[in-house]
Amino acid sequence: MDAIGQSALAEALDRMWLQYLPQMEERVAILEASAAAFVAKELTLTQHEAAKGAAHKLAGVLGTFGLTKGTVLAREAEILYSGEPEDDPSLGPRLTTIAAELRVIVANRK
Amino acid sequence: MAHRVLIIDDENDIREVAALSLETVAGWEVMVANSGAQGLARAIEYQPEAILLDVMMPGMDGPTTFRELRKNPATAHIPVLLLTAKVQGTDQRRFADLGVEAVLFKPFDPLTLSSQIAGVLGWN
Repeated sequence: MDAIGQSALAEALDRMWLQYLPQMEERVAILEASAAAFVAKELTLTQHEAAKGAAHKLAGVLGTFGLTKGTVLAREAEILYSGEPEDDPSLGPRLTTIAAELRVIVANRK
Repeated sequence: MAHRVLIIDDENDIREVAALSLETVAGWEVMVANSGAQGLARAIEYQPEAILLDVMMPGMDGPTTFRELRKNPATAHIPVLLLTAKVQGTDQRRFADLGVEAVLFKPFDPLTLSSQIAGVLGWN
């Protein structure tokens, strides 16, 4: 693909990112709420499953928009939520940090 | 002649980026479906040369959709490539054992997705 074609693809991806930004932000919000509930020892099964799903979707899509670090963080969250995080309260700060970092990464993508 | 590919994925963003990629980079004809059931119907109607199939979908998931495609004489011959964000080895082996042409991983690079598919299917 030539440079003009690559530029056109990049522009189309930028437009698509803006179109789906609310969806990305909603997924991050789910991770933020779940992390807060986890720290408060109030994480419900529904929240747990929602967090796992949101992390999975973010892991699958962020790298496609060039946000490789976002995919790495989301994948880590997915793995943590795929286990039994309730058994290890020390994971709370990590889940909180991941959600916060994802918020910044998503917000800073132009 | 442009290749014809059907993308089956419940996630709008992934589906649209994949379609954009295949259309823009490779110039292929792309049809999309947002569920396994819709994908089965479109595969019968559209007779694509290949199907890019998401693994995790509500209702009929990717492996179930694949088995249904193989059962139907109208779609049994169509190569299927699974698309998954699952990276654990056990998942990869399970998907490979299904008999699909290949397992591709999310996130994919929109610039190279078509060449990955073409390489698997010998379209180069």
